[in-house]
Amino acid sequence: MKNSRTAYTRARNPNAVIPALAGNVVIPAHAGIQCLARYAAGSPLSRGRRRNFGIYAPYAKSLLISLLAAICMLAQISSAKAADPRKVFRDVFPVAETGFDPAAVHDLYSAGVVRAIFETLYTYDYLARPAKLVPQAADGMPQVSDDGKTYTIKLKRGIQFAADPAFGGKKRELTADDVVYSFKRIIDPKIRSPYAFLLEGKIVGLDDAAAAAKKSGRFDYDKKIPGLEVIDRYTVRFRLNDTDYNLPYVLAHESTALMAREVIEKYAESDGRAMSNPVGTGPYKLGKWVRSSKIVLDANPDYRGFVWDFAPQSPGDDKLVAQMKGKKMPAVGRIEISVMEEDQARWLAFQGGELDTMNMEGPLAPNAIGLDGKVKPELAARGIRVDHYVDPEIQYIYWNMLDPQVGGLTKDKIALRRALAMSYDVDEEIRVIRNGQAIEAAYPIPQGVVGHVPNWKSTIKYDPAAANALLDRFGYKRGADGWRTWPDGKPMTIKYASRPDTLGRQQEELVKKSYDAIGVRMLGVKDKFPELLKLEKQCKLESRTAAWIADYPDGDNFMQLFYGPNSYQSNNACATIPEYDALYRKSVKTPPGPERDRMYREMTRILEGYAPHRMTTSRYRNQLIQPRVEGYRKHPILTSTWQYIDVAPDRN
Amino acid sequence: MSDLALKPPAASRRVIPHTVSPGLWTLAWRRLKTDSVAMVSMAIVIAFVVLMILSGLGLVARDWAREVGVNYAPPPFVGAPELPGTPGVENKVDAPAVPSAPTPGSAFESTVVDPIGDVISELRAESGRGGKGAPGATAASPGAPAAPSTEGGFVDPLADVMKEIEAQKSAAAAPSTTVDPLADVMKDIQAGKGAGPAADQRRATLPFGADKWGRDVIAKTIKGSETSIFVGLAAAIVATFIGTVLGALAGYYGRWVDDALNWFYSVFSSIPYLLLILAVAAVLQHKGTLTIVLILGLTGWTGVFRLIRAEYLKHKGREYVQAADAIGASNARRMFRHIFPNVSHVVLVQLSILVVAFIKSEVILSYLGFGVPVDVVSWGSMLNEAQNELLLGKWWQLVAAGGTMAVLVTAFSLFTDALRDALDPRLKGTAGH
Amino acid sequence: MWAYIVRRLWQMLPTLLGVVLLVFVLFNLFGGDPAYVLAGKISNPEQIDNIRRQLGVDQPYYVQLGIFLKQIVTADFGASWSTNEQVSQILVTRLPPSLTVLVPLLFLETFIAIGLALAVAYVRGSLTDRAVMMVCTVGLSISILVYIIVFQYVFAYKLGWFPVQGWGNSLWENLTRYALLPIIIALVVSIAPNLRLFRTFVLDEINQDYVRTARAKGVGENRIMWVHVLRNASIPIITHVMSALPSLLIGAFLLERFFSIPGIGREVILAVERSDFPVIKALTVYVAIATMVVNLLADLMYKAVDPRVQLK
Repeated sequence: MKNSRTAYTRARNPNAVIPALAGNVVIPAHAGIQCLARYAAGSPLSRGRRRNFGIYAPYAKSLLISLLAAICMLAQISSAKAADPRKVFRDVFPVAETGFDPAAVHDLYSAGVVRAIFETLYTYDYLARPAKLVPQAADGMPQVSDDGKTYTIKLKRGIQFAADPAFGGKKRELTADDVVYSFKRIIDPKIRSPYAFLLEGKIVGLDDAAAAAKKSGRFDYDKKIPGLEVIDRYTVRFRLNDTDYNLPYVLAHESTALMAREVIEKYAESDGRAMSNPVGTGPYKLGKWVRSSKIVLDANPDYRGFVWDFAPQSPGDDKLVAQMKGKKMPAVGRIEISVMEEDQARWLAFQGGELDTMNMEGPLAPNAIGLDGKVKPELAARGIRVDHYVDPEIQYIYWNMLDPQVGGLTKDKIALRRALAMSYDVDEEIRVIRNGQAIEAAYPIPQGVVGHVPNWKSTIKYDPAAANALLDRFGYKRGADGWRTWPDGKPMTIKYASRPDTLGRQQEELVKKSYDAIGVRMLGVKDKFPELLKLEKQCKLESRTAAWIADYPDGDNFMQLFYGPNSYQSNNACATIPEYDALYRKSVKTPPGPERDRMYREMTRILEGYAPHRMTTSRYRNQLIQPRVEGYRKHPILTSTWQYIDVAPDRN
Repeated sequence: MSDLALKPPAASRRVIPHTVSPGLWTLAWRRLKTDSVAMVSMAIVIAFVVLMILSGLGLVARDWAREVGVNYAPPPFVGAPELPGTPGVENKVDAPAVPSAPTPGSAFESTVVDPIGDVISELRAESGRGGKGAPGATAASPGAPAAPSTEGGFVDPLADVMKEIEAQKSAAAAPSTTVDPLADVMKDIQAGKGAGPAADQRRATLPFGADKWGRDVIAKTIKGSETSIFVGLAAAIVATFIGTVLGALAGYYGRWVDDALNWFYSVFSSIPYLLLILAVAAVLQHKGTLTIVLILGLTGWTGVFRLIRAEYLKHKGREYVQAADAIGASNARRMFRHIFPNVSHVVLVQLSILVVAFIKSEVILSYLGFGVPVDVVSWGSMLNEAQNELLLGKWWQLVAAGGTMAVLVTAFSLFTDALRDALDPRLKGTAGH
Repeated sequence: MWAYIVRRLWQMLPTLLGVVLLVFVLFNLFGGDPAYVLAGKISNPEQIDNIRRQLGVDQPYYVQLGIFLKQIVTADFGASWSTNEQVSQILVTRLPPSLTVLVPLLFLETFIAIGLALAVAYVRGSLTDRAVMMVCTVGLSISILVYIIVFQYVFAYKLGWFPVQGWGNSLWENLTRYALLPIIIALVVSIAPNLRLFRTFVLDEINQDYVRTARAKGVGENRIMWVHVLRNASIPIITHVMSALPSLLIGAFLLERFFSIPGIGREVILAVERSDFPVIKALTVYVAIATMVVNLLADLMYKAVDPRVQLK
């Protein structure tokens, strides 16, 4: 917990204006000063001249500083162009991308490309763990006032959108109007942004605008929204309906990436989305794009660039920092992403050197990674490294609390769910299904997320004997065939749904085995993902293994999963537990800290008591990296980190 | 080509000439008997069918789901799994109480702040106290939280019950004298479904290896044969039945019946087969092996339809049909009592072609996620499991399923060829010159 | 002749209508609701309604069917629901990679299979004939999934003769590099059944009277095989090869997925997984039309090869 306070929480003090407090994503001015410092310290020129200025020295010095700063800045700007086009980094997506309109993107992979082309107001420090917010397009952390209801944010000056026909072939500066425009788009019903929930109900007047748009069929982008206020060209103010300490995380989410209105107006398709012509202020531009096959990103010559300067945090970072520190970024001139659906293809391609990195998922992990989380000796001998860490996600089996069979808050139903939960052996899942590439997740908030409790001991454990006893006690007697029945003697069959793929099949096998051991008959339900999702969101699915990966590294993103009013939304167990809901409402208004942590712990106990779900695992991510890559560190929240790495130039 | 297209082989357009004689089947059998390849392949097919029946009756491979070996236990000729210094996946089985958290000496221990260090030490301490799967040995009670105690006054709705159960369990730690009235039934359930012998009794090698869960690959293959052959046969029967009935109706009645059925046929055969399968699968939802039979049967009848229609077109003008008409036989009687015996060999050959095609299609259906449910095993489900295993060096399941399937399908195809030749000797390769 | 073609084209309409109806019923009524996938991780019923309204799936069925028919007539299927890519664009960009694999495959397998079929038919009944047929049958009995997994592992990865997967920019690069192994696998899979089929076509002809007549006239065995027999056997062969093409386009999806070829088959699976109706509808309709046109062409070629064939 001690490290988990995020940077932004410091900005809660209404008076605290902390300029670029993290300062890791270096802005041009900052770069200039750093560059200047080098001159000031070592240059004989500065030492020699200083004496001669006499009493004008202060002025002259400041003049000199500005001059040098200007020179340095020029050097920085030209450095962006210096990203070596021969430096090609080859990445892979296991799923086809969908498109690159930040407001419309809903898959993690496309979001990674968005992250490289666009910028958000805030981003995460590359190395800090747990993830820490730092400014990106914003100039410093937000100024928070009015009990966390008003956020004032300044933009860095001189940020440019890449030159594009939409701007008459020239580049254009990013302004506060662009920020407001980008946020309006997320809530525009026509665009049907999958991340509208991040803003819904939060910003003063924004929902009214969306409601009006639903009626008229057209969102009025010219209409002013009280909660999104342009103070001056470089300042914007967000007003919230209610205290919300998570807004800065929202401002770092890909869906809130900053876009230009001209671009959308030029390229938008009939539904208002511009999925194929992304123009942003980020380090890369979309180059050649063969849909569902290959995405090429080229360094954006109009990008201002930054100097690599991050502090080591985890073991192994020292070497990485030593390699990278002071490099002008982005260093890689070209990112080539291939789409490969089959595990076999990805793994063979990586081994053949056709890929610079890949995520080694469970099924094939034993090929490359031992249970100690290190690469196999034969790969290590080739210089291949692995980034082995637990993803900020939880997996859990839920039982639908609205289901006539397994739902309800009566004791017999609670006992049934508890027994089912206790029949499941997480260790076996880890060993057999995950090939050892997961850890047991006992607490609903995973590692690397604010609010995580590391050594949590759940009261629900694998214990088929106790599960059997519990079922006996509540009258789930065994029928003549040995299977348990309902207390009224009717035959009992519990449904479990899974996706029709290999993983789904294995999960179903294990659940079946678990239920068999306590005499409960299981029926597998198989359906395509869209259909499962639909039934789940309608609270018509009896039970399923669900997963949730952090949208932002705060516990609220996870605790909301069981909040009653979120049924039919994200609460896929459709659980409405009054004690839990009461505490949750309190927790939202409580800033992250010991008090909220205490609430979360109690809420977790409540969940264990009522057992709407059984926590299972968090998976390891095993990012394999070729030796030619430098500075690669997979970030738990950032969907892509190409702008922070370097590679050896191509041999040919 | 047709295999690639996931489509049952298009029935050839060639017209099979007719030697309408009462002894057609007798003659064919006589010819078949002289063909040694045909007899051998027929024996293999019969052996498989017998195996399928035995397995269906639960006489063999009944315990296929029992986990008798360690995970991925190899065949003995490969050698028992190496047990490296650090615990590997395989010998993890011996210590089920240790969750697969990073083992001591892993990268995590050198971490400045090990995020799960205390979990590991805790679990290590716990595992010293013995396995938790054994009843009564559970150290931490499931209901009464050991630590941390509930803050904020939340009361477990089942607290009293759980306490009671705990008490019962510790009382039952001594061997129970009461006899469970369902003991044998329970044993059966557990034997048939999953729960295998205790971890330390699992075998390190099995005659042809074990799968991911430690199930015997040979038993799985036998059980898989049952499912796959059943699917192939049943789907072929469904498809042939649909194709034959519709083909007979169209060919016999002609006119608007023919037009309508022909339209239906061309609609079905114009839709890409893959999409048709996916769509029909969506319509039927997913219920089990029968669904697969229906998916294949409902989409695979077009070839039979075309052939049978042509046969009926030809036959309805023949004298014997007119004679039947003269003696006042009904349409149905003419269609099925008089004409059908004369086209039945075409039906039989088509049926056996379809069996082979559907056994292969089942594999692709499994790949697409429309395979058999988890309590059933088929060659398709095995091959799909085996897909990644090859890369892990665990080739035995792939070889077992792929090999067995190849043997059956080869035998079946050869038998089909021989059957066709026997029924229609003019086509036989040795004829001519 | 022309009258025949016009009539055949005219007859396609009811079939096409049937296809449209069937696809519409199968996918609209049973095909899953795309709104929930598109809505993302957290969605509320209101958003779902909004998405359904934007996509037009909240309209009554007859309106949706009308829109579908209009789309077919105007050949404009709009944009994919999940990627916003124009459906026409999808077809134009995914077809070439598929054809890069399929066209060479089709030619190679046809010629190889015909050559072999004539050869074994020539020595019909001999040990060679039986051995070849036996090998074919065995080869045919192995699942294509096994072929792909093993060949990719052995030839591409272990031996390094081919790239494991990938797709280049130029046709030449693709043909000489990336498409090779997929084509070889497809050949291995498809030659066996084709050889068996073509052999029976050839044998059918060999037993015909005209062969006996020719032989009686003293025509050489070679000439009989390569001219008389081949000419006549080519009718069913052409029909077979042509009618296989449309279904192959989509049927090669396994190869496309394992070798990361950005073709049509992969797109179909993707579209079905995403419940992307515009793509599914367009692909089905186009493939259905292609199937019917190809069948017509095959019949016309029948006529061209064998003037005795009556087109009715």
